[in-house]
Amino acid sequence: MSRARTICLGVALALASMPAAAEPAAAPTGDVPDFIDDAEAAGITHAYTGPWEFFVGGGVAAFDCDGDRRPDLFLAGGTSPAQLMRNASETGGPLRFDAVPLDVDAKELEKITGAYPLDVDNDGVLDLFVLRLGRNLLLRGEGDCRFRKANDLWAFDGGNDWTTAFAATFEAGQQFPTLAIGNYVDRKAPGAPFGTCADSWLARPAPGDAPSYSDQSPLSPSYCTLSMLFTDWNQSGVPALRVTNDRQYYRGGQEQLWNVEPGARPRLFTAGEGWQHLSIWGMGIAEADLDADGYPEYALTSMGDTKLQQLDAEAEDGLPVYSDIAFQRGATAQRPYQGEDYRPSTGWHSQFADVNNDGLFDLFIAKGNVEAMPEFAAYDPDNLLLGQWDGRFVEVGGAAGLAADTRGRGAAIVDLNLDGMLDIVVVNRNAPIGLFRNRGVRTEWGHMPMGNWIAIELEQPDINKVAIGARVSVKTGNRTVTRTIAVGGGHASGQLGFVHAGLGTAERAEVRIKWPDGEWSHTYRVFANNFVRIERSAPAAGYWLPPPKP
Amino acid sequence: MWFRVGTALLALAGSLATAQELAPWSEQVIRRHVDMATLAGPLDKEQLQVLAAQGEVLFTGRFTTADGAGRPMATQAIIPTKRSRPVDAAFQRLAGPDANACSSCHFEPVAGGAGPFTANAFVSEGFESADFDTLDPQFSNERNTNHLFGAGLIELLAREMTADLRRQRREGQIKARDGGEPVRLALSSKGVDFGHLVVDPDGTIDNSEIDGVDADLTVRPFSQKGVFASLRQFTINAMNSHHGMQAAERFGVRWTGTPDFDEDGHGDELTPGDISALVAFQATLPPPGRFAPDDAAWRDAAARGEVFFSAIGCAECHRPSLPLKSIAFADPAPFDGAGTLRTTEVETAAVYDLALLAWATKLERNDAGDYLVPLFGDLKRHIMTDNEVSVFGNELLAQRFVERSVFITAELWGVASTDPYGHRGDMTTLDEVIRAHGGAGRASRDAYVAASEADRSALIAFLQTLKIEP
Repeated sequence: MSRARTICLGVALALASMPAAAEPAAAPTGDVPDFIDDAEAAGITHAYTGPWEFFVGGGVAAFDCDGDRRPDLFLAGGTSPAQLMRNASETGGPLRFDAVPLDVDAKELEKITGAYPLDVDNDGVLDLFVLRLGRNLLLRGEGDCRFRKANDLWAFDGGNDWTTAFAATFEAGQQFPTLAIGNYVDRKAPGAPFGTCADSWLARPAPGDAPSYSDQSPLSPSYCTLSMLFTDWNQSGVPALRVTNDRQYYRGGQEQLWNVEPGARPRLFTAGEGWQHLSIWGMGIAEADLDADGYPEYALTSMGDTKLQQLDAEAEDGLPVYSDIAFQRGATAQRPYQGEDYRPSTGWHSQFADVNNDGLFDLFIAKGNVEAMPEFAAYDPDNLLLGQWDGRFVEVGGAAGLAADTRGRGAAIVDLNLDGMLDIVVVNRNAPIGLFRNRGVRTEWGHMPMGNWIAIELEQPDINKVAIGARVSVKTGNRTVTRTIAVGGGHASGQLGFVHAGLGTAERAEVRIKWPDGEWSHTYRVFANNFVRIERSAPAAGYWLPPPKP
Repeated sequence: MWFRVGTALLALAGSLATAQELAPWSEQVIRRHVDMATLAGPLDKEQLQVLAAQGEVLFTGRFTTADGAGRPMATQAIIPTKRSRPVDAAFQRLAGPDANACSSCHFEPVAGGAGPFTANAFVSEGFESADFDTLDPQFSNERNTNHLFGAGLIELLAREMTADLRRQRREGQIKARDGGEPVRLALSSKGVDFGHLVVDPDGTIDNSEIDGVDADLTVRPFSQKGVFASLRQFTINAMNSHHGMQAAERFGVRWTGTPDFDEDGHGDELTPGDISALVAFQATLPPPGRFAPDDAAWRDAAARGEVFFSAIGCAECHRPSLPLKSIAFADPAPFDGAGTLRTTEVETAAVYDLALLAWATKLERNDAGDYLVPLFGDLKRHIMTDNEVSVFGNELLAQRFVERSVFITAELWGVASTDPYGHRGDMTTLDEVIRAHGGAGRASRDAYVAASEADRSALIAFLQTLKIEP
């Protein structure tokens, strides 16, 4: 990634001069949240460091590892040791974290590029898939933020690749999750790094009562993958594997969509099936059903412009033909929105979330130069694109306090202090992480709250307890907003826990769940500004109270 | 009008309002918008009276299209909701707008009062079938107009009850956490029981035993169903539903992206200050009193009837009074959600100290110094039907998560001034409405039915003393 990228320069500069960029910046109509970086005060000193192999990666896993429902953080460090930080923040207060020692060989806590939480063995305690330069790790959660390496226990080899992407799903008929492991450049291949992408892998659980991943099959061809996501793009009930790849290193490659039918070998969707060739510096995938039609849209980060893909309305039904609506929606985010560096941006983690609780999806993009690439912006602040009622997005990263001069990589958008407002964790290359606490709307006299919200936790019995693949449908009035519980996407970063939805002015919501096996729940009636729990088949939603303020 | 506004007060009104010069013959009701910036902290008596008087103007004014009345492209829903197509008629009895002024319905015996059957409103969510011009009950519930006298005290009672219930929940949570065992706690405020709550040590709660209040433990005292927490919230709802006058704090740019959500050419039709004035008017309306008949026989019968009222259990729900610690009415209110201006959205909330008003001196107080609010209610919802007596179950739609057979206890203060009765206003006598009590009211109703004619008559005599005397 450090090599000159002369190929992209012309394209990127062309994008940077698009008319939209020359127009005065639109003002958002809704609330602009005001973030403050609490990292240092919270007790987190952490940076993602290392040479070329760590120009990519830099992920964070946000999940509850001690059962108190506060999201804890596992931070990838590259050549620095990864850190597990236990969340000790008071409800609604400043953020505070305590480092937790990990009972893992110190060497294996290095060369970590990212991590995703998931419950591999269905014990109700979240485990971690740890992405590394070298052998990947499966860490079994044992409660109270204790983890034990489970590669041998679960017959998971871990490989010896440069792993930069991960996704997981529970396939029909399987007790344990299927793992997709995305690899980057094969550095040892002749001619490396150009045209030498290592194969990514699909690890399906072997039959039996315990997880066993001795059987792994290549996802060949692979094209230097930087993000992958299981997604039910066509409402078939069988998620396909969406993969974004870095054109810098592949030759003849493109973006990919794998058809992963249970029990069958993965098969790439072909041009004959409508899949269109797209070649980008793919860094991260975000999914959201922006128009609530049941078919998700995807934000793909790259160098220069971000892609915002929507199923093409003109295409034949059932074909994966996408059109790019980023320009119409104001979401290209192709160059820095402030400062005087007009070179194109470099986008990494992307994630949809409602950070101002107005009921509309917003889009966060972590940005940052690969290292010191002269063709690309050196000051490249992270984006916060606020969703608007006309379907467009408006940039507010600067006004929101997110325009740090850092090289962002992975991120998580999660309510760290359980106040109903989403906070943002950004892992930066060679710089301290950003731990941005959302304080609401800044006023002359302090901060005021934003819209109503709801946070929803799902629970299934026995298998796939956290309901990966479930679709959470939140209806307020005539509007329905859906979110899918997924493990994958972003940039080397994953999160599990409460699903957060802004409700705007609604003080009640009706929630329905499409469980991973396709069964719809009945309607759950919930009151806004609460944490709720929905157990499968339960007649009513339960509530959960965060720890009381002292 | 319950107090007169003198010249000095009119001058003061100018300081509360934003300048907007209109010709004397203007057809606008809103001649000046109230400036919210002038409303912070305790208002003195004059300021409060002026604000309430401004509110009375808005309450009684027949809004015109020059004010922004009408909502051609918005439904009556409490969440900003667009119509699917322009409306055919500016007024429509079912989906609204269905009234020119608040006082078009709230007028008996005076503005702020109740309304007869002809002033019924139709309650539908406004999300589905919003344009149907039909009275078919599958699309709406028909509701009689409540009076608003004493509404400020009612809201204050509800706020204190909400605070009590949430405090009890928090204490139970801490006890469960510290003790490591689930805690089953009784929810109760001002002597009214709201069932039980089970809190686990990890903070999860089982709310299946909650009774008569929403799962978020917010006591919502307004509407026949008891589904609105504050006068402010209800006012914003009603202004949109009945008049097509949209409050900026819910329908404005912040929440909809446009100042003119209903697309009638008028933006920000009601400012937060205007809504505050309407709240101040309603909150300061005096509570209904006890009429002392000249007729000695009536007095005697009423005294016996009041005893009988308690003896047969009516007073278990129609509590003669509830204690209230403070009659300082903060506006905005503490328990509203976004879309209704919240205490946390202003630097300093205005405080309408009801103690400044003459009627407050007449409120009795208990030994603890609490004001005794003689509402004859409990601010709790009850199931009001059973298999044999099901008259109150005559609706087909639940409302805001509250099932068809469930209603909040009607406060009986002012009942002598607010016939007809029942949530639909289709019962012409007190005797009829008492006999319609099923479910939680069944035992008392049966006792009434089984009682002697003299006792039943005495009960009616008592109820006929609960008058609005503005």
